[in-house]
Amino acid sequence: MEYKKISALLEKYWEGETSLEEEALLRRFFSTAHPDMPDDLKEAMPLFQFFHEEEVTVYELPPLKEFPPAPEMKVVTMSPLQHWMKYAAVLLMAIGIGYAMKQQQRQERVVAAAWQHGDIEDPQRAFDETKKALQLLARNLNKGTDKMQKLSYFNEATDKIEGKN
Amino acid sequence: MSLELFLTQVIPVRQKLYRFAFRLLGNEEDAQDITQDALMKVWSMPEKMKELQNMEAWCMRITRNLALDKIKSKKYRMADELDRAGEMPALQQHSPHAVAEQNDVMQKVRRVIGSLPEKYQTIIQLRDIDGYAYQEIADILELDMNEVKVNLHRARKMVREKLQNLQVYGV
Repeated sequence: MEYKKISALLEKYWEGETSLEEEALLRRFFSTAHPDMPDDLKEAMPLFQFFHEEEVTVYELPPLKEFPPAPEMKVVTMSPLQHWMKYAAVLLMAIGIGYAMKQQQRQERVVAAAWQHGDIEDPQRAFDETKKALQLLARNLNKGTDKMQKLSYFNEATDKIEGKN
Repeated sequence: MSLELFLTQVIPVRQKLYRFAFRLLGNEEDAQDITQDALMKVWSMPEKMKELQNMEAWCMRITRNLALDKIKSKKYRMADELDRAGEMPALQQHSPHAVAEQNDVMQKVRRVIGSLPEKYQTIIQLRDIDGYAYQEIADILELDMNEVKVNLHRARKMVREKLQNLQVYGV
């Protein structure tokens, strides 16, 4: 029964589908002797014995050489003058924004003053100005109407000649 | 802080680093040098030690890169060294004949694995001997996880075929 389970696991192993636990199980199984082992398992036995041997082999390593003192984190001190361009750019931007805001305020003040002391609040004058503007408009419109009148005379004359009327 | 990390997480994997270097180089002395160099390199980067999630995988990667650099820097005659590496401590057997036979089988397996392309050898070692998860192997070898799975499958298939051809059976 156990052999069947191991054979199935082994097939999974060859397909590269076994988990680490299953592979450890296979290594454990093959690390002990099994007298009546089927052939398909015998085939894999040397490989797993090799893995097991490699896993348990402890190599004699020479003592560690002395390590130099751990490198300390370098703290780099930077002079504020190193970034003068950065500061100059910030300063220029601040001046620019300040100037723009000042201009804006000045313009607003001028508009507000004109609004308060302007002629728009004086009804008579506003009326006169409007009247003047409208008269100018009407004059120009009349000029156009005169031309249209002449054109219509021409049309009438043309119709008479053609004998339409 | 970094000393504590170094002692608790790096020094205990020294054996694995050495075994890894030894399998790649096939030479004890060079493997020892590479292991020492790898430890030195790790020691010289305390900031990195604090940042890392998997210190062991990082140490293995450093070891591999150093070993591969060494292989590139001089022409290796690895076959002789690997033959010597075949002289492994004997398993617990009773008769000298059985011990000799067992050693012979182990040596054949070692040769079979040693004859695989470097990538396959490394993947087999990392998975089947060192017991790393796929993601850890991917981190060590700087590969995609699917690539690791595919290569492991191919490596095992190749080992199986070679063992079958050699008719190496367990004792």
